[in-house]
Parts: sequence; C-alpha cells; structure tokens
Amino acid sequence: MSTKTYKKFENAGSGDLPDKMTVYQDCMNTFNESPVNPKRCRVLISRLLRLLSNGVAFPENEATALFFSISKLFQHQNDALRQAVYLAIKELSGMSEDVLMATSSIMKDVQNGSDLVKPNAIRALTYVLDESTAFSAERLLKSAVVSKHPSISSAALCTSYNLLPISEVTIKRFANEAQEGISDLKQFPSIPYDEHSLLVGEFYPNSTYMAQYHAIGLIYQLKKNDKMAILKLASQLANSNTLKNQLAKVQVVKLIDDLLARDPQLYRQFEEILLSWLTNKHEAVQIEVAKVISTFSLRNPRLVSPERFSYIVTTLQSLLAVPRVSTRFAVLRILNKIAMVSPEKIAVCNAELETLINDSNRNISTYAITILLKTGNASNIASLISRITRFIHDVSDDFKIIIIDAIRTLSLNFPQEWKSIVKFLIDVLKNSEGGLKFKNTVVEAIIDIVSFIPESKDMILESLCDFIEDCEFNEILVRILHLLGKEGPYTSRPSLYVRHIYNRVVLENSIIRSAAVVALAKFALTKNDPTLKESIVSLLNRIANDQDDEVRDRATIALRLIEFSEDDSTTVATELIEPKYFYDLPSLEAKLNNYLNTNDDSFKTPFDASSVRRFTEDEVKAIELKRKQEQALTGTTEGTSEPGAKKAKSESTTDNKGFAGPSVGEDEQELLNTKYAEKLLAIDQFKEYGKIINSSKPVSLTESEAEFVVNGIKHIFKDNIVFQFNITNTLPNVALDNVSVTCTQEDPEASQLEELFTISIDRLLPTDTGSCYVSFQKNDELVIEGFLNNLLFTTKDVDPNTNEPYEGEEGFQDEYEIDSLYISAGDYVTGSFIGNFDAAFDELPAEEIAVFNIQENLSLQEVIDKLVINSNCLPLNNTQFAPNDSNSHTLKLFGKSVLSGSKVALLIKMIRSSKGIALKVQGKGEDATLCSDLVNGLM
Amino acid sequence: MSLYSVEGILILDSKGERIYGKYYNPPHTHVDETNTLITSNKVQLEFEKQLFKKTYKKNSEIILYENHLILYKEYTDVTLYLIGDDNENELILQAAFDAYKNSLELVLNNGIDKKNIQENYDLVLLTIDELCDNGIILETDPASIASRVTKAPEENITLDLDKGLLGAWGFAKSKFQERLQQGL
Repeated sequence: MSTKTYKKFENAGSGDLPDKMTVYQDCMNTFNESPVNPKRCRVLISRLLRLLSNGVAFPENEATALFFSISKLFQHQNDALRQAVYLAIKELSGMSEDVLMATSSIMKDVQNGSDLVKPNAIRALTYVLDESTAFSAERLLKSAVVSKHPSISSAALCTSYNLLPISEVTIKRFANEAQEGISDLKQFPSIPYDEHSLLVGEFYPNSTYMAQYHAIGLIYQLKKNDKMAILKLASQLANSNTLKNQLAKVQVVKLIDDLLARDPQLYRQFEEILLSWLTNKHEAVQIEVAKVISTFSLRNPRLVSPERFSYIVTTLQSLLAVPRVSTRFAVLRILNKIAMVSPEKIAVCNAELETLINDSNRNISTYAITILLKTGNASNIASLISRITRFIHDVSDDFKIIIIDAIRTLSLNFPQEWKSIVKFLIDVLKNSEGGLKFKNTVVEAIIDIVSFIPESKDMILESLCDFIEDCEFNEILVRILHLLGKEGPYTSRPSLYVRHIYNRVVLENSIIRSAAVVALAKFALTKNDPTLKESIVSLLNRIANDQDDEVRDRATIALRLIEFSEDDSTTVATELIEPKYFYDLPSLEAKLNNYLNTNDDSFKTPFDASSVRRFTEDEVKAIELKRKQEQALTGTTEGTSEPGAKKAKSESTTDNKGFAGPSVGEDEQELLNTKYAEKLLAIDQFKEYGKIINSSKPVSLTESEAEFVVNGIKHIFKDNIVFQFNITNTLPNVALDNVSVTCTQEDPEASQLEELFTISIDRLLPTDTGSCYVSFQKNDELVIEGFLNNLLFTTKDVDPNTNEPYEGEEGFQDEYEIDSLYISAGDYVTGSFIGNFDAAFDELPAEEIAVFNIQENLSLQEVIDKLVINSNCLPLNNTQFAPNDSNSHTLKLFGKSVLSGSKVALLIKMIRSSKGIALKVQGKGEDATLCSDLVNGLM
Repeated sequence: MSLYSVEGILILDSKGERIYGKYYNPPHTHVDETNTLITSNKVQLEFEKQLFKKTYKKNSEIILYENHLILYKEYTDVTLYLIGDDNENELILQAAFDAYKNSLELVLNNGIDKKNIQENYDLVLLTIDELCDNGIILETDPASIASRVTKAPEENITLDLDKGLLGAWGFAKSKFQERLQQGL
C-alpha cells in the first residue's frame, strides 16, 4: 500500500466518490484479514455504503461475495464495528443472492448481544428472514417486544410490523405482548460505563415512549378486519391517560377516523373526546382532530352541528398565528379542503388569511390566496383581485398556475363578476413573465369564460386579438386563432377579427398560417355580415399561393368548401367548416380499435362512424361544465400542479365519494355505459330495436352487503325499453342457475308496456357477475311506470375443488325480492347547457308548477343531489350547492329530451323549516307532456 | 393507518448533488413498478434535481412536491430533506425532521456541513438508521438517537505476551515502518 492510497483511505469520503473497484478489492482483502482491524473495516464499510447510497450497484456475484465477507466480521466482538456491519447487511441483502447465512449470527446477537447492538440485530432480521424462516424468530421477537429497554422493544415491534406481509400468523401469536407495549411506560436504563467509551458523545436519552406508537400501529394491522376489536382499542385508549407519546396520540385519532369511515354513527360516541383534544398540548393532535372532523363532516354534514364545527374553525384560526411554518401549512391544507365545499364556514379566518398572503413561504401565501378566492363573495372579489394582481408578478410559475386555476373556478361561481376577472386575466396574459405552461393555463381560463359566459365574448375576443399581435408561443397562438374562428363569426362585428387573423397570415410561420387559414374560412359563412364572404374568398385565393404546402392545401380545401356551400344541395361543406357536433372521443377510440382488430375482410367495409356517440356543442359544454364543477370539488389545486401522478387521482376518487351526490366518476360512467350498450347490442334479439336512445345510470336495487347484489340499468329505445340487471353472487360455495328477474308493473291494468321476453343467466358461480335482460314493447312515446322485481334462481352447492356444482345436484328453486325500479321522466332527459338560463326560461312555452313537501329529515344539499339525479338535468349558475347559512335555495336545472331534443328548464325554490322542506317546482319546456311528467315525477 | 410515513431521506450539497439518499419501500411487499422513485436511480436523481431547484434559497421549510410532503433545511453548503407521505400529519413529519437535523447536529459536533458529513459518513448513516427504519419513525428525541451512535473504534494495540519478546519486537518494527511510510 503506497503512501498515497493510505492517505486517501484516512480521509475517507472527502471529495469525490471513491472508485468502485478499489473499494471492492479493499473490502474483500481487509474483511478477510486475520486478526480483524475494526477501525479499517468500519471506514471501508462506510465507503462502501456511500457508494451504494449514491446509486452505484454491484453485480450479484460481487454483492454476494461482499455479503459473505462482511458476515465474517461477526466474529469480532466490537460493538462499534458491529453497528456498521448491520448497516452493510441491510443494504446488501437486497442485492446478494444468499442472505440466510447471516441469520444465525444475527440471532445470536439478538439473544446475547449488548443492549447497544441488540436493537440493530433485531432490525436486521427484517432483511434476512423470508416466508419459510420467519417463524423461527417468534420466540426472540416475543421476548424482545416485552423487553424493558425502549429501543429493544421498539425495534422488535417495528421488525414484526415489517414482517407482517410474510408471517402474520407468527406475529399474531404475540399480539398480547405487543398490546402490553401500549400501556408499558418504558424508561431508558442508564448507559453502562464501558459502553460510553464506544459512543460518539455523552448523550443521555429521554424516554419519549415511542414504543406506544409502534405498538398501536402493529396492533391495528393485526386487528384491522375486526371492527369491534378496533372499536374496543380506540375507546380504551381514548379514555385513558396511558399515552404519553404525541405520535401515539395522533395514531388514536387516526384509529377513530378509521372507525368513522366504517360506521359514521359512531361519531356520537367519540365527538366529546375528539373535541376535547382540540386543546391538546400537542399541535399534531389538534391538527389531526381538525382534519378528521372536517373531512367527516363534509361527508356526513348532518352529524356535525354547525356549532361544533365552529370549534374546529376557531382552533384552526388560532393555529394560523403560530410561528411554526409546518403548523400553518397544515392548517391551510385543511382550510383549503373545507373551502372547496363550504367556504362560508371559514370566512371568519379571512383576516388571518389576508396577512398570510405575504408569508415568506410561497406555498402558504398561495394557499391563503386560493382559499380567499373561494371564501370570497360577490362584494369583495374585485378588491381581492387587485391584491392578487400585485402579488402574482413576483411568484414562480407553479404558484401562478395554482392561482389562475382558482380564479378560473371563481369565474364559474360568480359569472356576474366576469368583467374584473377577465381584466385580470388579460393583464396577466399580456404583462406577466412566464413560461408556456403558465400562459396556457391563463388562455384556458379565458376560453372557459368565453364558452360559459356569453356576455364576455366581445371584450375577450378583442383583447385576445391584441395579445396575438405580440405572442411568442406558437401553441397558444394556434389555440387563440381557433377560438377566434369558432366564436368570431357569431359576434356583431366579425370583420374586425378577420383583419387580425389575416395579419397573422402575413407575419407568422407556417404552423400559425395554417391555423389562421382554417379560422378565416369559418368567417365565410357568417350570417352576421354577408359581405364578408367575398373578401374571405379573395384573401384565401391570395393565400393559395403560399410557399408552404400545408397552408396552400388548407386554403384550397377551404375555397372548394365555400364554393360547395353556395349550392345548397350538400351540407358537407357547412359541416366541415362549422361542425355542429363532436364525436365522443373515448368511444370513437374504442370503436376504431375494435375495427382495426377485427379485420374480417381486409377493411373492405368502411368504418361506420354513425354508431359512435355524437354530442352537439351544447352537450359538450354541459359535459365540460359538469367536469369542472367536479374538479372544483375534488381540488386539483392540491399539490404544486405537477402533472398527474396516479396517487392524486386515487386520492381524489376516494375523497369524492363523500361530497358529491350526482357527479361521481362521470367519465368512468360514460365508459361503462358504452360498454354495456355494446354488450347489449351484440345480443341478436336486441338488434332490431335500433339505437339506444338513452341509458340510465345503474340503480342499486339491493343493499351492498346482501347475498345477491343487484343493480338495474334502464335502456330506452325508440319503441322498446330494456332493463338490464347486473347480478353479483356473493354467496361462497353456491352457484346460481337460470337466474332471471320477473318484473311486474305496479299497475298492470293501465300499463303502456308489454313484456316481450327475458334473457336469463345460465349460471353464476361464486363472486361472478352476470347480466340478465328484460325487454318491453313501448306503446306510447313517453312511458312512466314502476316495476316490482323478483329474482328467480336455482341454488346449487359448488365443489370447492372444481369450482363447479356437484354432479347430479338438482338444487333448490328460490326467490329473492329486490327493490322496485321506476322509469321516470328523467330517463327521457339529458343534461344540457345554456348560457343564459333566465332568458331561456322565460321563452319556453309550456309551463307546469308543482309543490312538494318533504317530511324526511334531509339537508338541502341532499335534496338538491336527489333532484339532480331524478331529473337528469344539468344544474346551472352554480346552484347545485346549498348555502349552509340559509334555509332557502333556488336550484336551476336545464335539460333536453333524448327523443325529440326539445328543451326543458326547471326552477326549483326550496325552503327548509322545522316541518321539513317545501319545494316549489316551476317547469317550462317546449314539450308540454315531458315538462309536466318531469315536474310531477320529480320527488 | 400505516406506520410507513417517511418515504425518503436525502442530503444534497449546494449544487444539488446527492451526498446521501435513501428511498423507502415497505419490506416484503411487492414493489409497485410504476413507483419508479423507489426502483430507478435515474428517476431519483431527476427528482432530486427538480426538488433542489424548487427549494434552493427559497426558505420555505415545508412544501408539497409531486404528492410528497417535503421538509427541508438549508445549511451553508448542504440541505437536509425528509420526504413524507402527503397524507401524513405534517407535524409528525416535522417531529421526525427535527429529530433528524438535531441529532445530526449532536453527532457531528463541528456542525452540519459537507466536509463534516463526508468525513463522518459512518456517523451520519448510523444516526439516520436510528431515526427511521424502512420508513417507520423509530425515535424523535435527538439525544436518544445520538446516544445509540457509536464512534469509530480505536486502533487497539494489544501485545500478545505469549509470543514473547521477539514477537513484541516484530510488532514494534512493523508499527514503526508504518509510521515512516506515513511520512511521520
């Protein structure tokens, strides 16, 4: 060994990473030396670990060799070396192929090692045990769990926790000992004298009783399937004073949260104790309680009284003033969640929130602003926006995007405030520095406003024209040109935009020129200014000589189409220039995929696009508005806007379950519907019915825990109605044969429906789901009826070995009653969007008024959700959220008949009193029967 | 209600290069292939680069980043990070993070800086190992953590008397030569 390498070895770690091969060779040589040099070994191990930590990987044979030589160091009884050996064993166990050889040495340490290395040894067990050997550690772990030494006990609890996936049975055997770990207050013994010399300094451990936390975590995992056991554990811990550790206390709050998610009624039992923890000395506990109750009350608004809820808000409000950043951060995350659903509840915190706008942590200030934007009301929006205008120019793009998103939601909530919002957005767009992603968000927000607030169109389009004169991003320019082409022809002065668009053709690159050509073409057919057509044609003629292929092509096509449109014989031209409908993209994709995969006649039959669902523009808007309302609920503003990540999605879907009645999982629902429809239309008997006009959402007809879980879907055809029953067999070891459903009309005499046939399910094995269909002939266009349903089937025991019923088994005929299914007027209606509800409402000819009284104890929100589901209409002007501070509300719903496309609008006034809720429904529509059926069948 | 609340621990230098890095996955469970932050070193490095950009000289202490709660503290030429589950109680993670930085302060008695961390890498490793086991917070009291960290063993010079005087002479000679080589 030369002087140089020796030096390098002494200053291990300074400077660059050590060389991988050198470290490997040094390790192999030194570890196998005899006698062992503990100091050098530890330095080498530390260098090895530094390599591993920096992502340097060793091939399996080298890793195994290293692991083997490191396990030789067990012979040396130096605790300082031993600790390092354990670190290395843990890191290498993932790479080395044989780790079992270290097991016996480790177990020896667990039994006979000093208190110093015992915890390290116990925790190393996680890495060397597998399914087949885990049981051998039972006795060791058990005695370590009950050890009086806190570190040893914690180590054993954590190792057991880590081993749960492979040896739950073994660990269950000492569940009682683990449970004792919760109540046992273990103190650190004083450190023996000879150990002091090994340690890095003279530190005296304080008992924090962490073992309580680990023990609760372990016990929960062992008992989590047993609700009663968890309930017992939670009430025991909640009512005693044994818990000293703050993490353990938070854990108990989480336990209660877990219970409340299973059974909301338990809330009564825990309310007092939870509220009393709001003044706990640990902020962590306060935060957790506030988090749990606020999420709970959003899901079960009736169980938490407003007065109780205000305790939480008060606690959160006081926590906003604490110096610790993470506390404020945590509080704001909770407030933000509350603000998404009931902003008025936290309006009392506005003063504190306003001071936080200038917080040095940009996360905090951004949260404060987005919450303020949500709690804001019509009167203070303008002033709020002016404050943000000052703020937004000096934060980074990520935060700007979050704020713009919040403003976008705001514009949907307060359409009447569009002027100041649009002014702000345009200002930001023109004057703020920022990247593509940020500017794109702004443009998207603006596009939203244009499409949902028609009054704003002129002002926005004019400002955008100014903006594109000086815009550096192609993508954004193209989007704006598209928007101008789409909306411009319908404004009062289309010629204004033509000039701006043509300027782009003259000045910009070919991508933008092509987009501009398409936009220009749309102006040729405008009704508002017939003189334009000629000028557009001459402009396009000029562009047709462009140097770029794409631009030329588009201009030529546009010219031809305009020519076509002159002789009115064909609509192709108008359809292409001004499309009236859009394809449902997911189903188009599915159909195309299907077409490509089932290549029967090498594509001789052309693709049939007529079977793909098409939406008119209003429908697209309705869908989008719905999606945006949902987004506002689930809170895409959480997280610093980084793209996607699966986790966010799964979180939002679980969160969603609570808040939103009618709007859950719309997208998935659409897909599911398309799938059902495909399956249905694949059945021969249904082919002659033609296209499905409308399918309802699945209606649950049994409780979700019933032996047979059934849900029903109503498919409406031109002259027929088909019920689809999806039946799941939840019985273990029993198969159901010949499953069918009998549907009896509630009033068979007056029925307008004639049953045609039933398609039954041949066999449902345990856990299988199948669909059974019942078909009817419809004699009237609009049929409204209720059906009593019975499930008919033959049960047969299943041989668990073959998963088939025993041979020769005859089985029992049985019947099972399921809930009634109603065809209501809502099934003939689909939600539709209209920009100006009030004007449209006044214009519709037919009118129907009905009054309902609801005696049940429901909240306004629950009634609204029910109305939206029953009517199948789209709530407009953000009226689908009930105010929490008032007992009256007006809901505006708009829809369209699926049969004729006639419009229908509902204006529902509701007042809540001590006797219940009174509803006055005023319906207006183009079709009098539909309107009256819808109004009268609403509740 | 999992005990696995810490997802990773990092120490980056003033250029955002990794000095120490560990990402946790619950042991004996199937590694989620889509969670490349655990499996791919490349993804980790990119994550660290972006995270560093987000935090460098921002003085925020706690941020939400790609669905992780990140707590951090900047020192003169290093930054300590703790990556947590974004559903975990912020203050619990704060307690873990405080334990992390305070115990390092105790163990590295010359203060937290890059040179000190690199030269006492074994102490840093042991400290973090006593703080967090596979993502479970093991201990939150800095003194308790530090009291379990051993220092590097002394070079123990024991004379084996059984080998007699000649043995002792040989031993002394080799030691002497070693010192000479070091240029003493």
